[in-house]
Amino acid sequence: MKGSVGLNHDEPASGERTSSFLKRWGREPLLHFLLIGLALFAGYRALNPEAIGRDSSDRIVLTEDDLRQLRTSWLTQGRPSPTQEDMSSLIQSKVHEEILYREALALGLDKGDTIVKRRLAQKMEFLAEDLTAAREPKTEELKAWFEKNRERFTLASRVSFRHLYFSLDRRGARVKEAAASARERLDGKPAASPVAATLADAFMFQNDYRDRTLDQISDVFGTTFATALFQLTPGSWQGPIESGLGWHVVWVESMTPGRTPTFEEIEPDIKSGWIDEQRIESRRRTFDAMKARYEVVLPNRLAVVGMMAGTAEAKGAP
Amino acid sequence: MNSLATYKFLTVTMLKNHPLTELSSPDVLGTYWKRLVNIADKYYRPGKFTTFAAYEWTASPNTANLHRNIFFLDTKKVPDMPFSAIDSDDPRELWKWMDSQRKAGNELLAIPHNSNLSNGLMFPTEVDDKGRPIDKAWAETRMRNEPLAELKQVKGQSETTPGLSPNDEFSNYEVLAWQLLGHTGDQINYGSYIRQAYKDGLALQDTLGVNPYKFGVVSGSDSHSTAVAYRQNNFFGVHGGSYDETPEKRLKGGLFGFNNLWASPAGLSVVWAEENTREAIFAAMQRKETYATSGVRLKVRLFGGWEFGPDVLKQKDWVKTAYAKGVSMGGDLPASTTMAPSFVVWAVKDPDSGNLDRVQIIKGWTKHGQTFEKIYDVAWAGKRKPDPATGKLPPIGHTVNLATATYTNSIGAVELKTVWADPEFDPSLDAFYYARVLEIPTPRWSTIQAVMLSRVPPDGVAATIQERAWTSPIWYTPSEEVRQAAKPGVTVAELTQKGAMALGDDELKQLIVGNTILVRNTVTGRQFEILHGSDGRRLITAVDGKEPELDVMGELSHGRQLQYEIRDGHYVVEVAGTPFEVTVYKMGDKYVAARSNEFGYANYEVEAVNP
Repeated sequence: MKGSVGLNHDEPASGERTSSFLKRWGREPLLHFLLIGLALFAGYRALNPEAIGRDSSDRIVLTEDDLRQLRTSWLTQGRPSPTQEDMSSLIQSKVHEEILYREALALGLDKGDTIVKRRLAQKMEFLAEDLTAAREPKTEELKAWFEKNRERFTLASRVSFRHLYFSLDRRGARVKEAAASARERLDGKPAASPVAATLADAFMFQNDYRDRTLDQISDVFGTTFATALFQLTPGSWQGPIESGLGWHVVWVESMTPGRTPTFEEIEPDIKSGWIDEQRIESRRRTFDAMKARYEVVLPNRLAVVGMMAGTAEAKGAP
Repeated sequence: MNSLATYKFLTVTMLKNHPLTELSSPDVLGTYWKRLVNIADKYYRPGKFTTFAAYEWTASPNTANLHRNIFFLDTKKVPDMPFSAIDSDDPRELWKWMDSQRKAGNELLAIPHNSNLSNGLMFPTEVDDKGRPIDKAWAETRMRNEPLAELKQVKGQSETTPGLSPNDEFSNYEVLAWQLLGHTGDQINYGSYIRQAYKDGLALQDTLGVNPYKFGVVSGSDSHSTAVAYRQNNFFGVHGGSYDETPEKRLKGGLFGFNNLWASPAGLSVVWAEENTREAIFAAMQRKETYATSGVRLKVRLFGGWEFGPDVLKQKDWVKTAYAKGVSMGGDLPASTTMAPSFVVWAVKDPDSGNLDRVQIIKGWTKHGQTFEKIYDVAWAGKRKPDPATGKLPPIGHTVNLATATYTNSIGAVELKTVWADPEFDPSLDAFYYARVLEIPTPRWSTIQAVMLSRVPPDGVAATIQERAWTSPIWYTPSEEVRQAAKPGVTVAELTQKGAMALGDDELKQLIVGNTILVRNTVTGRQFEILHGSDGRRLITAVDGKEPELDVMGELSHGRQLQYEIRDGHYVVEVAGTPFEVTVYKMGDKYVAARSNEFGYANYEVEAVNP
């Protein structure tokens, strides 16, 4: 019997002691509760034997369902059907695991185990997600959500341009000068001016690019040139502009600012984004509901600050 | 420290093969794997952005890294659970599973990575990681499943080391030799590096009948995080204790014996493909039309053929001509008996990085079980000329300011291209050629972050590096007639058949200890006179009849070849940390010797030289 009730240590005569002792205890309310509790537990146990041997008994029972599950796991790895030998070794592994699991539980190894905690927390999160499995949204709902989140779907700006290249390799230190004087000669000339080709060097990629985004131009010319390009106005020869490959004189033909597609054009993407947001929202709400039931106690602020300051240095290696 | 403890725990269980069955059950693995596949499919935009369903098989027997990254072509028949290292840490089992997947209509390939940490087990030449002899079937299975290998990632490069390639002045680049989880002992280099594997592969073609190391190259990150830096100027650390940490932490400190300074940004894989789709990119990977970079966006092309004249690059559509008249990187030259092959190589700098220093072609070949490598500088920036005495091109110098961690592009070239013919081609020998492109020196991330903290660049790592790209090789295989016509080498099998007897320890000691031995390498024709002391040390007293030159002495002492041992019927010399055994046979009154890494050939004639 765990715990005990403090007793009066008077010393009556032996026979009297025994009977008064019993009387004392017989009237003790705590004892009554204990006995009633024991009776309840025993009764419950008798009426509810656990099914698949996952109680702390010495029996490990594998059912046909368990075997089926072993077989399925095997097959889901893309293996051919398990042989008798395979099944036998799978069963052995499973029993081995079950024994270790029970021993571990008996020793309380699940308490304070980070991995176990994390896995159980993850299972709760899965459940919470499941409970809020997305329902079919109404079109008005999607449209409203789309209006609020337009920037997410805005497409990149695009530019079409042609350019003349002045090679660093060929011209060395005089490359910028060459590009500058070429631009002066082209002032007022049209895009297709025959003079243009004669002034420049052969470029290792394209002379003409249609509808390219900033990223695509950065890949070829480098980020500095790409950024500068989008600042230019269409319709004249401009430059010289430096790229990672040399200098350029550029004619921008058109600049299409990024537009947002219409609802109809990208409805599947909108729906997908809406579902993602619902999932995040519902997870948050479910968790908030759970959290509301707990009181969280943290060390005082000064202790936390002190700990941050003294981290790695004080403790040495991580 | 939760994530750290978790990481420690996970890696230890992985290496000790204690499966966390909790985490391996179908509903956990299945959930995550399914999620990953769904994410890959969700963000796949053919023509714009390609994703692959993929995972890492993390076999680490005795902490040697044998990891492979497995890529599936598409997700139509992706299995519910991938084959993990818990199922088996034996590459043969992995390949068996992969073959069965392919049979079931699910196309996939495996890319071994971080071979520099494999302790010599990634590219074996005699027995595999479990001590089983490798044979033709093993080689064929390997090539069927592993068309590529990863050459550069955050934990170093796997091309070569100064020990393995003493004549390669650029080999001391991000050499990272560390035992997983801080086990002690040096990493074994033979069998861990790609250039040596390429060479051994050529020799194995001869003895096994199949070359198991005929793979292309790619790069990777292996950052163990969904984000990774591939540039020096935004490097935020890697797994093992320096993620998202401060510059202070990245410059000092580490975990399990790993020094955070050794880590570097991820490399990039590049493929030449018709379009940006799963099918086109996967096909390019399978045919090895790929190259690896150190993280910069270098553009490189390599073609090999028999009909490339020096003017081919003057054509505007030379690429079309090159494809028509030759093979691209990753391909095989068709056999020819008359002329030397020529190679077209073209490189353009990364527009946001340093200019180019040079383009090199690295050739490897084999003869009678011996393998050789030579590096040719084929195109370079500026007006430098190769040194007439050494044949080497002078370095380009540098523009790096260590106080500010900046550089300027006032040296180097934007574009380098040339047509190069092999000046020392022997049509009877198997060979490979790959291109390596080097940028001018630029500051390493450790220098940049030291400057952020107003410090000098840290010791123990280079302050500047030359970013680079490596292409998949082009292979040359002689035709059967040419092979047969060539004079065969002497093999151990032949010797023993003719009644030659291997010398035991006592006979070896009598022949060698306290004596000067003349060793003639019948493949190269070189002769060495080697004096052997009775204290286990030896000294090369002459090479080809003359005093050995400094570079030969350097080469030999670099590999610590100044010590020898006689045991178990072998004369043992250590080269770059790996012991090689020489067996000496007596044939009549002559001595012929075979070295253990020469694939059964006996290439040495040995004579005692009496003073």
